[in-house]
Amino acid sequence: MKQKYRVGADIGGTFTDLIIVDQETGAFSIGKTLTTPRDPSIAVETVLRDVLEQSGISSDEIHNLIHGTTLVTNAMIERKGAQTALMTTEGFRDSIEIGRETRYDLYDLMQEQPKPLVPRYLRFDVPQRTLYDGTSQKPLDEDYVRKLTAELQASGIEAIAVTFLHSFINPADEERVRDIIQEIAPEIRVSISSDVVPEIREFERASTTIANVYVQELVERYLRNLEDRLADLGFAGSFYLMLSSGGIATVDTTVRYPVRLLESGPAAGALAANAYGKLTGNEDLISFDMGGTTAKICVIDKGEPMIAHEFEVDRIYRFAKGSGLPIKLPVIELIEIGTGGGSIARVDALGLLKVGPDSAGADPGPVCYGNGGEDPTVTDANLILGYLDPDYFLGGKMDLMLDKARKIIEEKIAQPLGMSVEEGAWGIHQIANENMANAARVHALERGKDPRRYPMFAFGGAGPVHAYRIAHSLGSPQLLAPLGAGVMSTVGFLTAPLAFDFVRSYPVEFGEIDWAHIGSLFAEMETEGAALLKDSGVAEADINHRRYVDMRYVGQGHEIQVELDGGALSDASAEALQARFEVVYQELYERAGPPVNLEILNWRVVSAGPVPDVSLQVTDTANNTTDATKAIKRTRPAYFPESNGYVDTPIYDRYVMAPGLTFDGPAIVEERESTVIIGPGATCHIDEHYNLVIDMPTAEEA
Amino acid sequence: MAKLNAIQLEVLWNRLLSVCNEQQTTLIRTAFSTIVRESLDLACGAFDTRGYMIAQSATGTPGHINPMATGAIHLLNAYPPETLKPGDVLVTNDPWQTAGQVNDFTVMTPVFRGDKIVAYFANCCHAPDIGGRILSAGAHEVYEEGLRVPITKLFSEGKPNEELFKIIRANVRTPDETVGDLYAQTSCNAVGARSLLQMMDEFGLDTIDPLADEIIARSEHAMREGIRALPDGVYKHEVWSDGFESPLKLVATVTVDGTDMTIDFDGSSPQSARGINVVLNYTRGYASFAVKAAISPEVPHNEGAFRPVKVIAPEGSILNCRPPAAVASRHLVGHFLPGLILGALAPVIPERILAGGADPGWMSVWRATWPKTGKSANFTLFQLGGAGARPTKDGLSTTGFPSGVGGVQAEVIETQAPIVQAYRVMKQDSGGAGEFRGGLGQSTLFSHLGSEKWSVSGMVDRTKFEAQGLFGGKPGAIGEFKLNGEHVPPKTIMWMEPDATIGMEPPGGAGYGEPYKRDPARVLEDVVYGYISIEAAREEYGVVVNFTGDEGALVKLPEQYALDLDATEKLRS
Repeated sequence: MKQKYRVGADIGGTFTDLIIVDQETGAFSIGKTLTTPRDPSIAVETVLRDVLEQSGISSDEIHNLIHGTTLVTNAMIERKGAQTALMTTEGFRDSIEIGRETRYDLYDLMQEQPKPLVPRYLRFDVPQRTLYDGTSQKPLDEDYVRKLTAELQASGIEAIAVTFLHSFINPADEERVRDIIQEIAPEIRVSISSDVVPEIREFERASTTIANVYVQELVERYLRNLEDRLADLGFAGSFYLMLSSGGIATVDTTVRYPVRLLESGPAAGALAANAYGKLTGNEDLISFDMGGTTAKICVIDKGEPMIAHEFEVDRIYRFAKGSGLPIKLPVIELIEIGTGGGSIARVDALGLLKVGPDSAGADPGPVCYGNGGEDPTVTDANLILGYLDPDYFLGGKMDLMLDKARKIIEEKIAQPLGMSVEEGAWGIHQIANENMANAARVHALERGKDPRRYPMFAFGGAGPVHAYRIAHSLGSPQLLAPLGAGVMSTVGFLTAPLAFDFVRSYPVEFGEIDWAHIGSLFAEMETEGAALLKDSGVAEADINHRRYVDMRYVGQGHEIQVELDGGALSDASAEALQARFEVVYQELYERAGPPVNLEILNWRVVSAGPVPDVSLQVTDTANNTTDATKAIKRTRPAYFPESNGYVDTPIYDRYVMAPGLTFDGPAIVEERESTVIIGPGATCHIDEHYNLVIDMPTAEEA
Repeated sequence: MAKLNAIQLEVLWNRLLSVCNEQQTTLIRTAFSTIVRESLDLACGAFDTRGYMIAQSATGTPGHINPMATGAIHLLNAYPPETLKPGDVLVTNDPWQTAGQVNDFTVMTPVFRGDKIVAYFANCCHAPDIGGRILSAGAHEVYEEGLRVPITKLFSEGKPNEELFKIIRANVRTPDETVGDLYAQTSCNAVGARSLLQMMDEFGLDTIDPLADEIIARSEHAMREGIRALPDGVYKHEVWSDGFESPLKLVATVTVDGTDMTIDFDGSSPQSARGINVVLNYTRGYASFAVKAAISPEVPHNEGAFRPVKVIAPEGSILNCRPPAAVASRHLVGHFLPGLILGALAPVIPERILAGGADPGWMSVWRATWPKTGKSANFTLFQLGGAGARPTKDGLSTTGFPSGVGGVQAEVIETQAPIVQAYRVMKQDSGGAGEFRGGLGQSTLFSHLGSEKWSVSGMVDRTKFEAQGLFGGKPGAIGEFKLNGEHVPPKTIMWMEPDATIGMEPPGGAGYGEPYKRDPARVLEDVVYGYISIEAAREEYGVVVNFTGDEGALVKLPEQYALDLDATEKLRS
C-alpha cells in the first residue's frame, strides 16, 4: 500500500482538530471532535477514525502523523505532574522561589508571586561548587547524593531535577549526580539542567529543568498510549510531535525533553499562517488566532515565524509578564492575550468600559448561550452587532438568544454609560479589538517589527470576526482568511521540517574571536544534528544546518539574534555580522547604538530536514461560482460605525465562492466554524487557493 | 477634537500605556547596566505639551517615575518649546530638579509632528557609575558624589553632543556603560515617539492635549473620590531609620479634608551631614506613590494622581534638604515614606494597606580586580527583604516594596565581577509573626577571587529598627551587614582583605493581626516549608508542631509533622 497521506492533529483545550492531506494531489479532509482531557489519545483516535471513514482512506496509507498538544501546558497549570525534587548547589535551593525579587504590578499591594513546581521541603542543597569559568571550587559530595537519593526513593519521589551553578560551562557534577541517581533508583526520572537548557541564569534554567522532569512521566504515558491506539488502527507510518520551536521531533526525543511540547498547538497555528503566507506571496505577516478565552498573535518575518528563547507558563495575574513560571527554550514567539469570545465586559470605577481578561468560559458561557451566564461578553456584543447569526452558530448546531444578550448589555453597560445598546455592544467589540491590537503592537515592537507593513492572517473560531478591526488598528494593508479557518491551524503541523536546535555558550568580544574554536563548536552541533536527523530517517543530502549568533554591545544584557552564513569562518565573518547587527539594531530601536565594542554570547545551530511541500486543493467545486450575487445567501443588519449604524449587509456562503470572485465591504462571509466580518470600503476577492483576501481601505477611504 | 466618549477615551488611553510599555521594553533591551536591565531601576513616561505626565510604563520604581514626572517642568523651563528642534534630546542628573542623586539621568525628547511639538517622552534610570567617590552615603557635599550635568542637550538635531560625552567619559569608571545607557535612554524615547505619531495618524489627532485633559481629570477625580471615602481627620505616624551618624526620626501628619489630602513631614529629623538626604522632589515621589497604591491602585498613574495630594516637608529637614547637601543614598530614607504613610492611614483603611516591611532596597556597589586579566570590575547589586503582611494574605518574601527594583542572579553577579556568592537563601523566622505573616528576608554571603584588596559600599538600612507590625502583628527581623561574620556599620566604602567575606541579610516584613489568630494549619505549613522553625511556631504562634520522623534524615516530608491541637489550645488560651 502506498503511504501518500499525511495527518496533522491538534489537541486544544476544547476541541481536537485533525486534517488528512493527500501528498500527491493536495486533496484534504478535516475533522473536529471534543477533547477528552482524561486521556487525550482517545479523542485523537476518534477523530482519526471518523475522517478515515468519511474519506475512504485506509490507515496503512498514512505516511506520517504529526501532532501537537496542550497536555504539558495544562499539566503545569493544573499542577498534575510528578512528585518532583530538586538537587541544587549548596546555598541555592531558594533561587526558584526568590526569583527576580520584583513586583510585576507597581501599585497593586495585594499581588501574589507564582508558586514553584517543587515545594521548599523537596529542594535540597548538594555540597559542590563550580565557578563562573567552570573550575571546581568544592568537589561534589557523592556520599551525600547517595544518601539523599536513597531517601527520596524511599519517600516515593518520582522525579528529580538537578541544577548546579555554572553547569552550562561545566556539566561534570550534574552528569555525575544523574549517574548516581540512575544507579541507585533507576525508576526515578532525572533531568539535568546542562542537558535541558545549557544557558546562563540559574532561575530560568532551574525552572525549565524542573518543568521538564515534572511532566515527563505524563507525556511518556500519553505518547505510548497514543502509539498503541494508532497501531491498533493499523497505522504503520511515522509519528512525530510538534515542538514549541515549530520543529518536529520523534517520540523518543520528545520523551527526553517533554517541556519542548509547551505551546506546540499555537506553534502549529503560526506555521499554518506562515505556509499560507508563502503560498500567497506574503513572506511577512501577522497571524491572529482567537478562540473562546484567549487570542494568540505571532509575527512572521521573511517567511519564518519569530523565535524567542524564553517565555512564561501559568501567568497568575492578568497575563502580566513576571507572574508566571519562566521557561527558557526556543519557542515560536506568540503573545497570548486574555481576550476571547467569552471575555466579560464591565464598567469600572472610573466609568470606563473594560473587557476581559476574566472569561465566562464554556460554562456558563456568554449570556446568549442561555446556559445561565449573567455577565455580558464579547460574543453577546458580536451577536447584537449582527456579526453572528443566531440561527447559524456552529453551522446551526447551537441557537443564540439575542434578546437575553440585549437585555444584559442594556442593564450592565449601556445604561451606566448613558448610551444605546448598540453603542455599548460596539464599545465592547472595539475595546476587545484594541486590547488585542495593543498587545500585537508591543509584541511586534519587542521584535523590532513595524506592524503597518504586515498583512494579517486570521483563523480560529473567533479570529475572523475581529480580525478586520484589528488589522485596521494596526494599519495592516491586507487581511487573509483561509477556507476552513476554524480548523486550518492543523495545516501547520504538516509544514514543519524535522528539526533540532543546539546552542553553545561561548561569550567573546569582537577582536578576540577564536574562529578555529568556533568552527569546532559548530561542527560539534552540526554533527549531533545530522546524527539525530539520520536516525529519524532523513537522507544526508536533505539535511541543512543554519547558524545563528546572539549578539549585543559589550555590557548590554539582551541580545539580538543574527544569522551567520555557513562555510568557512574568519574575521570577515565578524565584519558581516557587525553590518547585519547594526541594521537590525537601528530598525528596532530607532537609533544607532553607542560607540562600544560588540560581543557574541551564544552560538546556535538549527539542523533541519527538508521542508515538506504542502499545497491544498479544493476538490468539491460543483456549486462554485465567481458571481458574487449568487454567493449571497441573504442579508442581515450589521453594525458599521463608518455608516453610522446598522447596514443591511450581504451574507456570503463561503462554500460556493470560487477563485476570482470579487466583492466589496461591508460584507459577512459565513462558514460552519467561523464568520468573517468585513467593513465598508474594503475590496475582497477569492484567490486561486480559495483564500479570502481583503484589501484594507486606506485611512481616507475608511 | 470633539469631546471624547468613554470608549474613545479607553481606546486612546490604553494605546498611550502601550506606547510607554514599548518605551520600557526598548530601554531594558538596550541598557548596559545591570541596575536597569536586571533590576529595573527605571521609569518611562509620556507627557503632554504642557509637561504633564499622562502615562507611565507598567513597572519601574516610584523614586524615578514621580520625580521624573514632577521634574519635567524644570527641563521645559530651561528649554522652552521654541528653543527645541526635531532630533533634540535633553538630559540632566541634577538631584534637586529630578530624582535626587547624580547617578540618575533623566532624558527627555520632544515629539515633533511636522514643525509642531505634540508631546514629550522622558525616562529616568540609574547610571552604573557617575564618578566621584563611588555611590555611598559617605560624602559631605553633593560635589563629592560625582559629575553633575545641568539641563543640557544630549543630542542636538540628531547629533550627539560630543563635548558632553567626552566630559562624561573622562569622569566615570564605566565610560562604555554610562554612555551606553544614555544612548539606550535616547532610543527609548525615540521608539515612544514613533508609536505616538502612528497613533495620532491612525486616529486623525492633531493634538493629544484634549486627551491629556480627560485622562488627568478622570484620574484626579478617582483619586479625590478615594480620598473623600476616608473620614476627615488628622492621622499621624512615625518610624525610625538607622541614619548615618545617628538614627533618624521620620514623622508624617496626614490630613484628610474632603477630597484633599495633605502630608506634612514636619517633625522629621534635620538634614544629615552625610549622603542620605532627600530632595523634596523625591519625597513627593514616594509620598504620592503610597497614597496612590492605597487609595486608587487600579487607575493608571499620571499627573491627575498628584493634584489632590499636597506634600510638605520643612526646608533643611532630612526630607527637603538644601544644596549642597550630599544625597547619593537618599533611597535609604525615601523608601521609608510609603510605610510611614500607610502606617498613618492604618486606622482608617485597615483593609487596603501593608504592615511594615524591609522598606529600603539593599544596594551595594562592589569593586574588585579580575585575577586572570587584571581588569577592574565595578558592579551594583540590589537585594530585597520581606514585604509587610496584608489584611488577608502573608507578606511577599524577598520582594521589593516600595521600590519596584529586582535582584540579580548569582551566575550574572559572578560573570560581572570576581565575586562568589556562597549562598542566597530565604531567612527562616525573619518574617514577623501575625495572623498573616510578614514576608521573609534573605541571607546571602559573598567572597572574592584573587589576591588583591576589594571594596564594597553597602547602602543598607533597617539594621537597627525592625519593621513594625499592625493590629497585633509582630515586627520583622532586622537586617544584618557583616564583615567576616561580625556586624559592621554600613553606608561607607569599605576596603577588604582578599579573603574577607561579606554577609548581607536584608530584613523581614512585619506581621498583620494577632499571631495566635493564625490558623494552626498554616503555621504547620510554614514549619513544613521551613519558613518558620518549630520553636517559633510554639513561641510566637502558640502552635505545637512535632516532627515524628528521623531527625538525621535529609528528606522531611509534610506527613512527618504533626499538629498537636490540644497542646496548641492550651498554649493559646
